[in-house]
Amino acid sequence: MQLDHLLTKETIRLQVRATGRMDVVQKAGELLVASGNADARYIEAMKHSLKTHGPYMVIVPGVALLHARPEDGVRQLCMSLVTLDPPIEFGNPDNDPVSVAFALGAEDNSKHVEAIAVLAGLLEDEQAMETIRHSTSVDEVLQIIAAAQAGE
Amino acid sequence: MKILAVCGMGFGSSMVLKMSIESVLKSAGIKADVRTADIGIAKSETADVIVTSSEFSKLLQNKNIPVVVVKNYVDKKEIGEKLLPIVQGEKKGS
Repeated sequence: MQLDHLLTKETIRLQVRATGRMDVVQKAGELLVASGNADARYIEAMKHSLKTHGPYMVIVPGVALLHARPEDGVRQLCMSLVTLDPPIEFGNPDNDPVSVAFALGAEDNSKHVEAIAVLAGLLEDEQAMETIRHSTSVDEVLQIIAAAQAGE
Repeated sequence: MKILAVCGMGFGSSMVLKMSIESVLKSAGIKADVRTADIGIAKSETADVIVTSSEFSKLLQNKNIPVVVVKNYVDKKEIGEKLLPIVQGEKKGS
């Protein structure tokens, strides 16, 4: 499944004001639920994962990849993107604060590999990530994602 | 050479890490079997090297396996600097 099919106008929200890290999970998770691809309990599962394992999901400075297990309420492979204004502390000593959060709902261990590969390439591109961080235009963000997909 | 990329659930963050590791090894011309694992599995798995973040490294310290701690999962420079010396050292020893 391609990244630019998963991240669309419906699953991207920019410059969101969140009250804390759980609210970030809530907001990113709500986009997955609204898309019909995840159950509401998946949001709780992602919050639980954050509480249990800690903020390891902040895998790159300023970027969090939020997710729980497929059996926690994923109906179909899905992803959402929220950028945060102001950035939010997740408690990760190396990579806080978070200004870009991706939420991922995987169906199994394999279908999302292609999307993750493109996402990894996008995360490596500092210029693209800076643009996304500050963008107020969903179209602009969609263009960057499409370019990342094409580049793969 | 078996390398384990470890995170909380074994298919999200660790997959990003696995891809970065594979890219670094490919550039260095090193062949290895890179797998993802969640922290529960990682505790009982065998591997030649474990790569993970600082939170999980603390939980894996009691195994006799070198643990490489990575801060930025897509920073190939960081991964290369930390992982390659261990991988190359392991290869010489085996």
